[in-house]
Amino acid sequence: MTDYVRYVDRPGWDDVVPIEQYENGSPLAPIFYTNEYKDVANYFRGIVKTGEKSERVLELTEHIIRLNPAHYTAWQYRYETLIAIDADLEKELKLMDELAITHLKTYQVWHHRRLLMLKIRKPIPELRFIAKTFLVDAKNYHTWSYRQWLLAYFNDEDLWAGELDFVEQLLYADIRNNSAWHHRFFTVFQSGVHDGEQDRERVLKRELIYVKQSISLVPNNASAWNYLRGVLEQNSIPFSKMITFVQPYTLPMEEQTTDLVDLDNPPPSKTAHLPCALAIEFLADVYEAEGGDSMLKATELWKSLGNEHDVAHKKYWEYRIREGLRVLQT
Amino acid sequence: MSGSPENDFYLPPLARVAHAGHVKRCLSGLPDSQVDLDSGRMAVAFYCLGSLDLLNMVQVKTSETDRESWREWIWEQQISGNYGSGFRPGPFMSRSTQGATAHTDYDTPHIIMTYTALLTLAILRDDFSRLDKKGILSFLKACQREDGSFSTIPGSGETDLRTLYCAFVISHLLDDWSGVNVERALAFIASCRTYEGGYGQSPFCEANGGTTYIAMAAIHLAPVTSNPLTPSEKQKTIDWAVHKQHPSGGFCGRTNKVADACYCFWLGGCLKILGAGDLVDSRSLASFLATCQFKFGGIAKAPGEHPDPYHTYLSLAALSMFPPPISATEKSNGSSWTFDPLDPLINAREETAKWARSYIAIPR
Repeated sequence: MTDYVRYVDRPGWDDVVPIEQYENGSPLAPIFYTNEYKDVANYFRGIVKTGEKSERVLELTEHIIRLNPAHYTAWQYRYETLIAIDADLEKELKLMDELAITHLKTYQVWHHRRLLMLKIRKPIPELRFIAKTFLVDAKNYHTWSYRQWLLAYFNDEDLWAGELDFVEQLLYADIRNNSAWHHRFFTVFQSGVHDGEQDRERVLKRELIYVKQSISLVPNNASAWNYLRGVLEQNSIPFSKMITFVQPYTLPMEEQTTDLVDLDNPPPSKTAHLPCALAIEFLADVYEAEGGDSMLKATELWKSLGNEHDVAHKKYWEYRIREGLRVLQT
Repeated sequence: MSGSPENDFYLPPLARVAHAGHVKRCLSGLPDSQVDLDSGRMAVAFYCLGSLDLLNMVQVKTSETDRESWREWIWEQQISGNYGSGFRPGPFMSRSTQGATAHTDYDTPHIIMTYTALLTLAILRDDFSRLDKKGILSFLKACQREDGSFSTIPGSGETDLRTLYCAFVISHLLDDWSGVNVERALAFIASCRTYEGGYGQSPFCEANGGTTYIAMAAIHLAPVTSNPLTPSEKQKTIDWAVHKQHPSGGFCGRTNKVADACYCFWLGGCLKILGAGDLVDSRSLASFLATCQFKFGGIAKAPGEHPDPYHTYLSLAALSMFPPPISATEKSNGSSWTFDPLDPLINAREETAKWARSYIAIPR
């Protein structure tokens, strides 16, 4: 950095006494800081020591954060300064829009945003901002976590209104996006009853049709099967109720018989890769729950998974067979 | 090649010496491009020295002088004040030229760094005579929040399941749980469970391998007589975790994600803790990790990526729990895949865990 201007040479900083980092002779995993980083960190330590909270502290902490977005003390001090000088928090949020995209995977960027939102209390534009970041990474854990927090914390019906459509767009773009499936479950079942969702029978039916149609398009999708299981368990519906739907997926393509359009039991698409291991697993669970003679049917299915359709988990299917037979004998 | 079906491919050697070289290089210094590790240096030190420990190379690859001065450096990070005592990540907010031992509001102990400092000192076979044990209990109290979770530093809103796990390991090592409200903490864990059978980082979040390991380890460390999980909940977590192992042998952290070396530890450890370690295909796990080896040493998160101490350590920790069966041909190449057993609850080589327990525990 040849054209870097040190703080000592900047107007308006000559009153600050920089403090060097103290470190003994044999540090573990020291970072070979650049001269620029050392300079700004020395001034930051100097400022923190005097306790100054002023406009120029915002300049200094922004400088540090751009070089090291994980510097949690710089974030903490920046936030306290913003509050102390009654700074324009909307302006700060604009800056964060830029920094969040650059440092999507840094926890602090999202934590700071959360603190700002607790003061600004305008969560709706935030949902739009998050949607934009999903164009960069639609599975980013921090971003999803922030969205879930916003919804649960402000819990405003205007906020929830667009969530299902939003999830559907994401699933349309990537049917295997498990974060979106999870968010759907959170929205529909784990965040209270939202406007327009009071008829729970209708909601349940809608969700079952949605997930079944998704499976019919792409059967080998663990996210959709997990969602189906989750919906059934959440609503205390036995898995056996799905047997008509699931059975065709456990058979090879040449054994498919139905050409009827049955909305409750959409058949596998013509291009599906069948039989589907996740369907076989589901059917085996149905037989296991029935117990008695059905347990033998379950063990046959587990055998076929371990030997043919899901050999990567062979040890697991052998274990299920052992457990099943043990139950049968007692 | 051996006739047994699980040995139907050749497992290349594990480049133990090269991996030790990688972590030793990181211990001696990191380039500025990794300046974001500055506020987590203690953890980096743990991953580096922990890797050497798992490789059984601490004695061979470091001198007593090194170890002595590293212990000194770690003790310089123990600081005390009105929040109690604990370890900070490093001296990046140090105020003075003498090793200050009093903390300020901007230079405080950090709960994750306290956990990693204790384990690193145990790896270096410190006698812990300088540990402010009572101070650590106050520090844990200062970090626990109303909802049962723990913040990284006192007063911060930065909280998730990781910090709760650290508080539990620390209490377990001290053999004193008076610093935490266990009941509330367990309730917080339960609130992070999802319909998939795994645990998210916070309530409402998607199930993730790292936090599910942490939830299971914390539940098993907790001083409670009955397991808070019902048998069917436990079974569901096992099912979910097993399915995260890819045909490649590696584990992914969430449903439908790609395999990543670190999840071989997180999900393997979760299964081990749940008594289902034998459901892991250890042979294919090793073959996945073999492909994550970087040609100049170190293990990366995935094939073709750059290595780092975090993925190197967690890969070796996974192998310590799941050493692969080896064919006769492979055996003749030496025992590069042999490891000492690991304590899956606190994530340290068993011998190191034993040392930590006996020296850190508060005498009754």
